[in-house]
Amino acid sequence: MTAIALSTINEHLLKSIGVGVAILRYSDLSFQYYNAAFAEWFGDPADSEAIPEIIEKLRETAAEALRETGRYAGEVQVKPRRRTLIISVALSLAEIEGEKMLVAECQNITRMRELEQMIESYSSMVERNTRELEREKERVEKLLLNLMPRTVYEEFKTFGTVTPQLYRDVSVLMLDFVGFTSFAETNDPTVTLSELNDIFSTFDRIAEQFGVERIKTLGDAYLAVCGMPEPAPDHASAVASCAVRFLRYLERRNESHQYKWQARVGIASGAAVGSVVGVQKYVYDVFGPAVNLAARLQVFAHPMKIVAPVEMTYDLIDNFQVDEIGSYDIKGLGVKELINVSSTLTRVR
Amino acid sequence: MAGTTFEKYGGFGAVSKIVMDFYDLVLDSDSVGHHFDDIDMPRLMDHQTKFISALMGGPSSISDERLRMAHHKISITDAEFDEVAQMLVEVMQEHGVKADDIAQVVAAVEDKRPLIVRRIT
Repeated sequence: MTAIALSTINEHLLKSIGVGVAILRYSDLSFQYYNAAFAEWFGDPADSEAIPEIIEKLRETAAEALRETGRYAGEVQVKPRRRTLIISVALSLAEIEGEKMLVAECQNITRMRELEQMIESYSSMVERNTRELEREKERVEKLLLNLMPRTVYEEFKTFGTVTPQLYRDVSVLMLDFVGFTSFAETNDPTVTLSELNDIFSTFDRIAEQFGVERIKTLGDAYLAVCGMPEPAPDHASAVASCAVRFLRYLERRNESHQYKWQARVGIASGAAVGSVVGVQKYVYDVFGPAVNLAARLQVFAHPMKIVAPVEMTYDLIDNFQVDEIGSYDIKGLGVKELINVSSTLTRVR
Repeated sequence: MAGTTFEKYGGFGAVSKIVMDFYDLVLDSDSVGHHFDDIDMPRLMDHQTKFISALMGGPSSISDERLRMAHHKISITDAEFDEVAQMLVEVMQEHGVKADDIAQVVAAVEDKRPLIVRRIT
């Protein structure tokens, strides 16, 4: 009773499941059984065109695998209707009523394959988008790094804002060209711009060598600082080194270039505040006594000279030629004793 | 992309299911199925998923030129276009896409009709 019921259940199961099942006699590959799913994909074995082709295709590899392991797994393509189906085929050997049989289990993996292809395509799309975003981020970062020092940028990135910070010991360099306004008036703006661009780019490179950071250029003025946001014990001599090299570069450049440039430089040490100014248009800027003084002294300097307050002598005397030039009343800042700073090399010459 | 129809219905996962069911319908159709006889279906489904996603405001795009190129060798009539569009509507309904969202997609598809239907000029 039970045996009959079980075989009936098995038969129904084989008929209705989504797995294609067929049993072939191993000796002549004649079909002993196949279920509905199998026929749906491959057609009735009696008049199927696909089956002989598939058998022909699989025969050698399958026979070898079956000999060695008793199993074979592979994939075949069939096109019962419009859609090409991908069917996985698993073959195994069995003995039924004393005869060697080949059991074929087939599954329709078309959808899986379609999904796999889609997933692959999307992940590559997502990767591409991510790469583009990454590049975009780098571009933005580079741009912002032009506007503010890296440490400030890091703070800005993390907190979305920059707290104004007072730096007590910094040195400021302010440079301005002699006769820039008249040059700009008499020459094509593109010429002026390319001259400035060339010179300021070199200044930036020089500044970088000495750990001096350019804060901004305003027209022909060049403002750089040292000692902020990162402290630098030798900030005074760093800006002086820069200033000396800026002027030396201009001298060299004037020897070979069509346009001759002369600059005045003011340097000063003291306190300054650094912060990002603005909400929509960010500018990292510096303010404070050191900045004001450097700006004033720059105006005060003779062409191709560097002027500093006498207080900086102590910091500079070891590495630079320092010449006292007397006391002067400086607008808004009172009477100051000033010095000229130049390269020790000039003295030897 | 928050707030797009694409996001609302679950992104690529959902759209790809719609597209697969859509092609089940299309391929079974006697009047338009023949256009797909020798087509690399997985590739087409991939493109179609990106296309539908784009129409729903998703993060993909299929250019008009590409759409035109893909269809210009096939003679598709207005009636066929309508039938396929109707199948898309049915499938979206089955997948629980709301009527106004379906209308939005259909309108977007309708915009592309001139690129898809072959005009004999």
